[in-house]
Amino acid sequence: MSTTTSEFVQSLPTAEQAIVRLRELGMPRRNNELWSFFPVAKIPTPEFMNAAQEHSTSDGAVQKETDFAALLPIANQAHPMIREIVPGAAEMAMLKCNNDFGHTVLEIGKDAKVSLEILDNKVAHDIAAERFDINVGENADVEIFFANPACDLPLRFRHFNIHQAAGANVRFSSICKDTAIGRVSVECHLKGEGANFDYRSLHILDGEASQHSRLTIYHEAPRTTSTQLARNLLSGSARVSYDGSVIVGYDCTGVNSSQLVNTILLSEEASVSVKPVLKIYHDDVECTHGNTVGELDAEQMFYLVSRGIPKKAAQEMLMRSFAQETFLPLPDSPAKKRLMSSL
Amino acid sequence: MLSIKNLKASIEDGTQILKGINLEVKPGEVHAIMGPNGSGKSTLSKVIAGHPAYHVDGGSVELDGKNLLEMEINERANSGLFISTQYPTEIPGVNNVEFLKMALNSKRAFLGQPEMSDEDFKKLCEEKMDLLEMDARYRERGVNDGMSGGEKKRNEILQMAILDPKVSFLDETDSGLDIDALRIVANGINHIMSPEKAVILVTHYQRLLDYIKPTYVHVLRHGKIILSGGPELALKLEDQGYDWIEEA
Repeated sequence: MSTTTSEFVQSLPTAEQAIVRLRELGMPRRNNELWSFFPVAKIPTPEFMNAAQEHSTSDGAVQKETDFAALLPIANQAHPMIREIVPGAAEMAMLKCNNDFGHTVLEIGKDAKVSLEILDNKVAHDIAAERFDINVGENADVEIFFANPACDLPLRFRHFNIHQAAGANVRFSSICKDTAIGRVSVECHLKGEGANFDYRSLHILDGEASQHSRLTIYHEAPRTTSTQLARNLLSGSARVSYDGSVIVGYDCTGVNSSQLVNTILLSEEASVSVKPVLKIYHDDVECTHGNTVGELDAEQMFYLVSRGIPKKAAQEMLMRSFAQETFLPLPDSPAKKRLMSSL
Repeated sequence: MLSIKNLKASIEDGTQILKGINLEVKPGEVHAIMGPNGSGKSTLSKVIAGHPAYHVDGGSVELDGKNLLEMEINERANSGLFISTQYPTEIPGVNNVEFLKMALNSKRAFLGQPEMSDEDFKKLCEEKMDLLEMDARYRERGVNDGMSGGEKKRNEILQMAILDPKVSFLDETDSGLDIDALRIVANGINHIMSPEKAVILVTHYQRLLDYIKPTYVHVLRHGKIILSGGPELALKLEDQGYDWIEEA
């Protein structure tokens, strides 16, 4: 482990830059497409937003930052934890933020194999906002995962900024059972040929839970691939949104991308909003998206119950199978073991 | 054992499919139900099982004197009824063995018996899988998931063997089976059958009845049993079809 001053790290905003940029952006509003589905009124206004205006404007790389949740931890002076994982290393790590705001920067060397579990922040007060900047070297294999237990923290943001070099493979998997309001945002840049990003999320929500996912995957090199699978099991008045964008750049031939959102609504009041966006600037690509919303399959329920299994147990079996299928295609790994065992 | 009296049932749009079925099935008997497509054979099995797509308009179905129609679906099964549908439902993600164990222990709980231990269940499962010449892959798979038609039917008979029902209603169990699979499945059914149990077979062909000798053969047409007879009736139907019955 060592500190690093790579180009990637140097491109990250400072606290001062983040504050200036946030003032430019203003507080999230529903008419901002990044926050279309989020209950923005629940976000407390940081003190620095109300402080006397300075005349400076943002410049450089920070101008590319458009997400309030991504800048918030830095603006709140979260001390960045910077780690370098050397080329070829094999590491398993668990990360846990012990402040309201956290910022983690990872430089993962080429050919490294990394398994990274993000643990729940249980010390935050009214809001927890974490940011992860992860630069993945050539042919590295990385899994990032978290399985949040039911957490009643009023508001939680997690933002991931992932850059992948050629042949790098990243699997991002999560389970969320939170009971409050949260948002996970991911910006993934597939910068090198053959890089692959695999995203799987499962929300099992009840009550007044309101959880939101915002993904943007930039295919910036030929033959890059990405998969998005989001599954939701929603009861009570739970609400989920999935806002997923795939952007395929010029000259990015042979790109393959898929997005699928499957939701089972277990109550009349539960709801899901899905917004797929595809921006494709090359002809030779294959990009798909799909969305299903339904109830538990009536024929499957009948089959189980007709074998003597009580209705409630049959429902639980079907829900568990729906949930487990999210992660079944993953290779055997600490992530798969942890995620499957939490279901 | 199973007594069906004047059973009438319709689908959601009000169309009546069963128009007064009467059938008495005693322990040790095998009843074969034959009939043209669309005559109500599959509907009969689903109505008895309690499928929510059907509405019972009248009549009764009693198993050992208890009215099945007043029971929940799982209670009917746990009371000793087993229904195998023509197209067994696939349930990916629900492990076949876990499902079987859950079903068996649900029945045992219903009957006031303790849960079967993992070890005993494993033995029982292995014994029945051997009987049906099923390999270990069936354990790892989801319920009927990705199975061929024949594999599904074999899997259904495995469930029947483990749940040990009093009355089994098998709807076109022979469809999708090759010659060897038909023999294996039929042998399995014969092995499970005993003087205390009964089987109702829905089939279009004599070939299944070559292996499983029926006590009675019934012809179901337009929602009613219009003719009953002995095993020779199936041979005549195979030879002459159904038209002669209306002519008679």
